[in-house]
Amino acid sequence: MSAVRRVAIVAGATTPFGVRPTTWSEMAQEIGAALFRAEPELRSEDVDSLFVGAAEPERFAFQSHVAPLAAEQMGLTPHRILQRTELACASGQSAIRSAYAAIAAGLSDVAVAVGIEKMNLPSMAEANTSMGCVMDRAWDGPHGATAPPFFAMVAQRHMREYGTTEEQLAAVSVKNHRFANTNPHAQFYSKTFDRAKLARLPVVAPPLRLGDCSSMTDGAAAVVLAAEDRAYRYTDSPAWIRGTGQYSDFHNLAHAGPLTDWKGLTHAAREALGRAGLTIQDIDVAEIHDCFSISEIVEYEAFGWCPRGEGGKFVLDGRSDVGGDVVVNPRGGLLGCGHPLGATGIAQSVEIFQQLSHQVPPSRQAPDPRYGLVHNLSGSANVHSIMIYEGGRAS
Amino acid sequence: MSATTKARRDTPPEEATAKAPPPVTERSSVAEKRDPGKAPPAATTPFLLDFFPLEGPDQTRLARFFERLKEGLLCTTRCPRCGALHWPPRVACPACHAEDLEWIDLPSTGRIYAFSAVLAGAPLGMESDVPFAVGLVDLDGVPLRIFGRIDGRPWKELDIGSAVRVEPLPLADGRVFYRFRTVD
Repeated sequence: MSAVRRVAIVAGATTPFGVRPTTWSEMAQEIGAALFRAEPELRSEDVDSLFVGAAEPERFAFQSHVAPLAAEQMGLTPHRILQRTELACASGQSAIRSAYAAIAAGLSDVAVAVGIEKMNLPSMAEANTSMGCVMDRAWDGPHGATAPPFFAMVAQRHMREYGTTEEQLAAVSVKNHRFANTNPHAQFYSKTFDRAKLARLPVVAPPLRLGDCSSMTDGAAAVVLAAEDRAYRYTDSPAWIRGTGQYSDFHNLAHAGPLTDWKGLTHAAREALGRAGLTIQDIDVAEIHDCFSISEIVEYEAFGWCPRGEGGKFVLDGRSDVGGDVVVNPRGGLLGCGHPLGATGIAQSVEIFQQLSHQVPPSRQAPDPRYGLVHNLSGSANVHSIMIYEGGRAS
Repeated sequence: MSATTKARRDTPPEEATAKAPPPVTERSSVAEKRDPGKAPPAATTPFLLDFFPLEGPDQTRLARFFERLKEGLLCTTRCPRCGALHWPPRVACPACHAEDLEWIDLPSTGRIYAFSAVLAGAPLGMESDVPFAVGLVDLDGVPLRIFGRIDGRPWKELDIGSAVRVEPLPLADGRVFYRFRTVD
């Protein structure tokens, strides 16, 4: 055995996602209670480290130094590693990756990775300003660069280069909203969307309509990660981390390159799959970053589930649905669940943990999955972060 | 290059905010309701929710960019050691890490590589601009593709390949930024 220890997710929980009449700190308390309720074997003193994924608490909650605040609110007393991870939309996955690294290295035995984001403020324009700060604020920001117009340009180029259609974009949203109707924690759990309804929604940034865009969302999610000798104290079905990868090659939009070819994702996937000793065809269920409908289409292609330019056809043919090549975003995606920045990557990992241990409703359960994948992009798709999990007993 | 240029903005922002509306409309409306005698110093008002950079020589080593922009020209830095052309302008070369960079003027024309428009969800200070077009523009003759606001023709009349030119945007407080404008 190598010096690197195996690490697994052994428990997880999420709060409801949505426009919620509650504060950042209250959600920290709520997710702490939900996590200990989800895993009765877990005791506070077991948790030696806490990693807090939070993208913009300074802007949205006017609070910095959030890691000890979260620990206090959750009823934890970390005594090995306590830190916040910030990587915009991938802040949650960053928390998990950091916990993984700490446990694999022997610096932690049992760690909690929590993601918390409060995004809905009395002034939506102020919230939009905060989102603009994710970009190169001084050079792209003054022009009005926020996520919707950037991903709209990706969609425009994809349509121009490959003939991708609004119907294909809508197919992503329809699929993920249908899955969200099986998830009581999803922001749009009780709202149904079909193609005709999506086509009636207003255009936010052409060609993207409201239904092509994920929402401003309040929510929190948490997982417990444990070293191999601790994992079975908490569960008979850990989700073992088999590989991880990440890639970033630009920030200012001038360096985005061809908008329809997300090379950073391809690099990160190669790294993660290589570490796992797998190919993309081995993945049974995937939670990937559908911040916009076009994102999921470009991601199918960059992961290699289909050739470049055929992502629209891939979803329209049902190949990313239950019964297809791979079940993509069964939790409901960012489109259906909402996108509380720091919580998203952790909520996705909770879904993969539950998929691999058959704890989700049958209508969204991938058939006997062995391998699951979580992907987050951040900013203008300039960072890609990927983790690969294996259910049951790891080889 | 003129890293030691002493040029200052004509009106410091603390004085300018009193007579010209700052870009942040919501904040200014709050300020108007205050008793002027008890209002906080105007210097605390503009920056944190203002996307435009601080551009004076006492605030950035790239002040030359903004001085040249006031003369109507977009410029950037180039590395004399390795030849790398930068955007945005820099104080250290990302390719070879040289710090003694030179300024060069950029072409003022280009063509749209991709564009969209903000029809909703604009940040503070930009709500009254909606709808507005933004895009990535390939500058003519140099390997730079720059993001920017596109003024002029409405977004529905733009296309990939449409010609645009660089235009300085004077701000109410004496600062300056750039935008693109469609060429007919």
